[in-house]
Amino acid sequence: MSTQATETEAIRRSVTVDCSVEHAFETFTERIHEWWPLGRHSIDHYETGTPAETVVFQGGAGGQVYERTKAGEELKWADVVAYDPPHRFVLAWNPSREQDGPPTEIEVTFTDEAGKTRVDLEHRGWEALGAEAAEARQSYNEGWESVLAGFAENAST
Amino acid sequence: MAYRNAMEALGDRTRRAIFEQLRSGPRAVGEIADELPVSRPAVSQHLRVLKEAGLVTERRNGTRRIYRLDPDGLGELRDYFDDFWSEALAAFKVMAEDERRDA
Repeated sequence: MSTQATETEAIRRSVTVDCSVEHAFETFTERIHEWWPLGRHSIDHYETGTPAETVVFQGGAGGQVYERTKAGEELKWADVVAYDPPHRFVLAWNPSREQDGPPTEIEVTFTDEAGKTRVDLEHRGWEALGAEAAEARQSYNEGWESVLAGFAENAST
Repeated sequence: MAYRNAMEALGDRTRRAIFEQLRSGPRAVGEIADELPVSRPAVSQHLRVLKEAGLVTERRNGTRRIYRLDPDGLGELRDYFDDFWSEALAAFKVMAEDERRDA
């Protein structure tokens, strides 16, 4: 496996839960605040070392997933781009204060399997970050040009 | 894991401000310090931490040190979530099966 493939390959995880599809979907979305490890993943935690107050999954068209920090700020993690309860949702995932990087995509599906529910999660679109890296490299290139131009100017006076 | 180190490095507001500045391109220590209410030696110290976390790289240009974001840091973001989702889904399973209100 090449390093490149590993870096951009979608992350896939499946888990089977002993409950109905409806209950699994509701737990993942409306009740996300009851299980999401905010001490492991929240912007507040990155910035201050203490977990965010809560996380809210607002379903439906134009919905969002956002955290509420201890200071009361609401910081967006994702836009809901598809919402088909109780079977599937898709998020454009970009948990950052500035929202300036490209989002990755998370799709979660809920499938009935003999009374239990299989939950499949796919986190993809890592190549978009690669594109950002290419853009960033371009801006670094330009940055270096001006640095070197300044250097040349100084050096030749 | 390196990404966790990166997150710890970014847990400091000043380091996060420095990191955000470098997103727009490489800068020298003095240029970074000019935009922050901290001393130049303090900025150098923060840059050292960011460098050790694999977030920035350093290059000498004469007597100046120029800092830029390390593009290799991006792959670590995927690695982080690869690890994270296993933990998050385990927590989800416990909660989904806890009440079984309509199972």
